[in-house]
Amino acid sequence: MSAALSYGALLDAVRGVHWQARRAVTGAPAGTHHSKQRGTSAEFTEYRLYRQGDDPRRIDWRLLARSDRAYIRLATDRAVLPTTIVLDASASMAFPVATRAKWQTARDIAIGLAAVVHADGDPVGVAVHDERRTMRILPPRTRRGVVSEIARVIEGADPGGNESLAPTLINVRSPRIAIVTDLLGDADDLLRATRVHIVAGGEVHLVHVIAREEIDPPRRALLAADPEQPALQRILTDTTRRGYDDAFGDWRSEMARVWRASGASYVTVITDEPAPHAVRRIAEPQSFGALRQ
Amino acid sequence: MTWLLPSVLGIAAVAAIAAIALHFIARSRPLAEPLPTARFIPERPVHARARAIALTDVPLLLLRLAAVGAIGLAVAGPIFGSRGRIARIVVADRSRSVANLSEVRDSTRANLKSGDQLIVFDSAARRMSASALDSLSPGGARGSLSAALAAASGAAAAGLSQADSIELVFVSPLLDEEADEATAKIRAAWPGRIRIVSVGASAASTPSTRVEVTATPNDAVDAGLSLLGVKGSGGSIRVVRGRLSAADSAWVRADARVLVHWPAGAADAEWTPRRDVDAIGAVTSDGATLVARFPRVWVLQGNAIARWADGEPAAVEHAEGAGCIRDVGILIDQSSDVTLRIPFRHFVQVLLVPCGGARNTTHMNTAALAAFVGQSGLAPASALRDQASVASRWTPWLLAFGAALLVVELALRRSNVQRSIA
Repeated sequence: MSAALSYGALLDAVRGVHWQARRAVTGAPAGTHHSKQRGTSAEFTEYRLYRQGDDPRRIDWRLLARSDRAYIRLATDRAVLPTTIVLDASASMAFPVATRAKWQTARDIAIGLAAVVHADGDPVGVAVHDERRTMRILPPRTRRGVVSEIARVIEGADPGGNESLAPTLINVRSPRIAIVTDLLGDADDLLRATRVHIVAGGEVHLVHVIAREEIDPPRRALLAADPEQPALQRILTDTTRRGYDDAFGDWRSEMARVWRASGASYVTVITDEPAPHAVRRIAEPQSFGALRQ
Repeated sequence: MTWLLPSVLGIAAVAAIAAIALHFIARSRPLAEPLPTARFIPERPVHARARAIALTDVPLLLLRLAAVGAIGLAVAGPIFGSRGRIARIVVADRSRSVANLSEVRDSTRANLKSGDQLIVFDSAARRMSASALDSLSPGGARGSLSAALAAASGAAAAGLSQADSIELVFVSPLLDEEADEATAKIRAAWPGRIRIVSVGASAASTPSTRVEVTATPNDAVDAGLSLLGVKGSGGSIRVVRGRLSAADSAWVRADARVLVHWPAGAADAEWTPRRDVDAIGAVTSDGATLVARFPRVWVLQGNAIARWADGEPAAVEHAEGAGCIRDVGILIDQSSDVTLRIPFRHFVQVLLVPCGGARNTTHMNTAALAAFVGQSGLAPASALRDQASVASRWTPWLLAFGAALLVVELALRRSNVQRSIA
């Protein structure tokens, strides 16, 4: 089944959304993003004095005639930005058990972002643990049907286990990486790998998916168990709820701070937010200045 | 069916009740629900906050009760035997007190059934198979009821675990000389009555006072015995002052004779030499004490009939066929006059009495006999059983079953936890 059939509404909703690179990209095939290289495209940028070795065909002869000085026309090149979406499929993403809202939200965001990237003419791929807990990486491609291919890979995954995403981040070569995760696994390792990627010239977008039930757990006493560490069990009562709210809030704030400080783009998505809205917020944050988290 | 440790059944019952009670309490703990952010909840001890009224997790409870029951039964040690079975221990007297050993054999055979145990005794007691009864020979030594009772208690503790009750049968004339100071106390340790099968007692015989002496001329001991006036041929007592010959051994084995081996020098005996040869100033027996300086060169093994001043045996007796040999390790200086004095005559008379000491052929008096027989019923096997040596053959199987149930319980408990988390 093609992605158009399964995710038709989602793909329709994100049509027209563009995801610009956060900074000029290094040399690559011609695309829609500003390149660090200056070339001969029609989009004029500036003049520069002719230097020995420059191509004489790039001299602006009219300016030479008017000013008797030899200038060269410079123009910004456009380049493509290969993008890989890394999707967290650990056990904590299958929450709540009944609805799996976190996983559904993460999955829709991943496919929505893939569609946006593909529409911009950029190669797009995905990396996710499949049901055998093996990391499956689909390299970035631009061909038709890549979004459906990505949707099939994601559909083949089943949240479970507690495999780390950090090694995947090291193996992914794309300049732009979008990580869709709840950060409840290996946040520290992931942050370290992100810093390495950013220092190497790449850009990272972190989509922090949080379930509404995590922010506001049931108002009854319950023995909570971490699905990734069954031995970790805590009693959530009226007495401990305040401590939980404080600790969880502090942790979210800390995550936002450290991820933004690392140079990554950090966006929090609550499960009750429609996926197309979240995709727009991730891809076009300038349009949601007031809502940016 | 009996139990080796019946009190363990009570402990197992208490453990089972505790398990049921814990199930009522433990069920009030809430079931675990998944929450990925559980780590942010402040850590508090998990306590039950509400009491459950209904008993839940019944399969797990039944499994635990079965495991406790199996282990309790295993430790309690069930013994399955034919109910009401009476085992019998027949104690046959072959001491010098018995007039006719054939009578003892016949009486013993009449009381001995298949599976019963046979003990024979004179001065010592030992277990014997029923098939060896025909070869039972007279002991010649004085009988010891204490030794017989102790052997019977040992046999009951070790070998009769399948019986409910134990009957103790004594085939003996029960003479006074067979009881000693320990007999009453050992008898009191037997928790049941004793059946007596009385056999004829040997008649009191006048011991021959004639003593044959084999010694070199002018031997000091020979001189002392001459003064005693007991020397003569054809008697049942022989004193040898040199090395024993094969003829001497054959002579003593043939009848209830006494052979006194009293070496004149250290080379005349091959007894165990002392590590340090020393000298001591006196030797004593029931009759008298000799005071002189005696060298001690041997360590003697046997029933002591004379002792040095420090308590070490100076003369011992040991059975030899129908008679006995008395080893006297007292070296007399040939130039000494100690054997010529009156105390020597008293002393030496102890060495010349029949084997086992002076005979006493009077029967036990009525009160002593009644105390020996007792008035209670048969001895319960459980009171005599040696708990350390008797094991139930069901114990390993029950323990294995209990361990298997515990493994199943562990698996069931883990699956419950996983199910509650999933």
